[in-house]
Amino acid sequence: MSEPVLQVRHLSKSFGANVVLRDIDFTVKPGDVTSIIGASGSGKSTLLRCINLLETPTSGEITFHGQNITGKGVNSNAYRAKVGMVFQSFNLFSNMTVLDNCMVGQIKVLKKDKESARASAMQYLEQVGMAPYIHARPRQLSGGQKQRVAIARALAMEPEVLLFDEPTSALDPEMVGEVLSVMRDLAAGGMTMLVVTHEMAFARDVSNHVVFMADGVICEEGQPRQLFEAPREERTKAFLSRFLQH
Amino acid sequence: MDKLISLGDNIARLWAAYAPQYLNGVRNTLVLAVAATVIGFLIGLLCGILNTIPYTGRDPMPKRVLLKLIRGLVRIYVEVFRGTPMVLQAVFIYYGIPYFLGYNPFKGNAGIWLCSLIVVSINTGAYMAEAVRGGIISIDPGQTEGAKAIGMNHVQTMTCVVLPQAIRNIIPQIGNNFIINIKDTSVMFIIGFVEFFATHRNIVGNNLLYFPSATIEMLGYLCMTLLASFLLRHLEKRMDGADNYDLVASDALTTTAGTYTHPKTPEDLLERNLETKGGRPHV
Repeated sequence: MSEPVLQVRHLSKSFGANVVLRDIDFTVKPGDVTSIIGASGSGKSTLLRCINLLETPTSGEITFHGQNITGKGVNSNAYRAKVGMVFQSFNLFSNMTVLDNCMVGQIKVLKKDKESARASAMQYLEQVGMAPYIHARPRQLSGGQKQRVAIARALAMEPEVLLFDEPTSALDPEMVGEVLSVMRDLAAGGMTMLVVTHEMAFARDVSNHVVFMADGVICEEGQPRQLFEAPREERTKAFLSRFLQH
Repeated sequence: MDKLISLGDNIARLWAAYAPQYLNGVRNTLVLAVAATVIGFLIGLLCGILNTIPYTGRDPMPKRVLLKLIRGLVRIYVEVFRGTPMVLQAVFIYYGIPYFLGYNPFKGNAGIWLCSLIVVSINTGAYMAEAVRGGIISIDPGQTEGAKAIGMNHVQTMTCVVLPQAIRNIIPQIGNNFIINIKDTSVMFIIGFVEFFATHRNIVGNNLLYFPSATIEMLGYLCMTLLASFLLRHLEKRMDGADNYDLVASDALTTTAGTYTHPKTPEDLLERNLETKGGRPHV
């Protein structure tokens, strides 16, 4: 058994009186590709944002290699550099070119020199098929291209875990494929990934663990085959049947 | 028509006699307006940044108290200097500072320059503080999240991501302030600063050619502000970067528009024709 990379214990989050997450527990081991599925408003994105500390959990703890990162006096910036995040709305820096987007974190946060930052930025941009566009600015790219650059930017930090927050939900249908294919390659390459998604085919075929969330709790989790073909919970069945009809 | 000819004649005579004075006035106006806009922008930038440092209830007490205090002070500065006439501020500072210090730091021509620069700068700063604050809060929170997600701290996020975009967005505001400064430095005649408008007052005092001199002034100010507008537009364009970009090689995942050459005729699509046109004739 390998040591878990990330462990979430009794995590709760509320915005005022609105409880979004309730007592969430789960574990991510190295190389795991975990898909988090569920209806809109079930707390999937909030969970991911809590894991990257973009939201402060109300209670519970998150440990990274056994170290609690929700406590006081933890350097959250150093932790975030090791846990990459890809957003639904890309969030590329619009004042920089594609290449600078992938270099700035390496130079400012990892303190790399310009040449090696450029070299690894190019390597990852090539991996996502965006190397031709290094001089373009985000506003000049299509949604799918932006998301591939955003993935390269996250990869350039050489993270141990990559979080995806509905990476294809803001894309036109014909662009979903190019982003999913990049993500498939990453999964095949052994990257530890945590993916919030509405792409059921991706969750079923690529991930090795699926978490189904409803109303701020983990309703059911397990192997993708078991969860998709023989769901135990009524709510999972209802959710999946709605998806498979369409 | 006669009137216009005589106006032209008067202008020509004024210009022949007083061109050096007019040009000296233009120079002083421009130097003061540029310097005060730059210093005012820096004051505004500092205030805007201090005003938008985020804090939450979880931060330690001293930090929260300090940030609240800073916000209060910036607010007072903005309200006082935005809410009183600049001509009055000039008098207030030019006579008020010596009154309290017991000696006059604004002696002679250099003193007048110093005082004018201080007054116009802090006045501009008050307006710029609000413009910078608006510029910062208008940046999509996603930009900050993107920076945080790769481990940048607050200072890095601001200097690399938020401020470059905020400053780009408030350049029209900076331009507004610059043009206002070109015109409004004229109120500094009250403390004896000899800029373009003060030159006019000195000259017409001698010869009473009010209207011809005023025409020169109007044209002069318009030239200065048009030049300023032009330069600012140019700066905006440069900051936006090129409209186009060059592809470096081919992309494996998408076909780029323009890189695929359409066959001209249906026959070109046939495989045998493609082969023959490829340069290797069939034997």
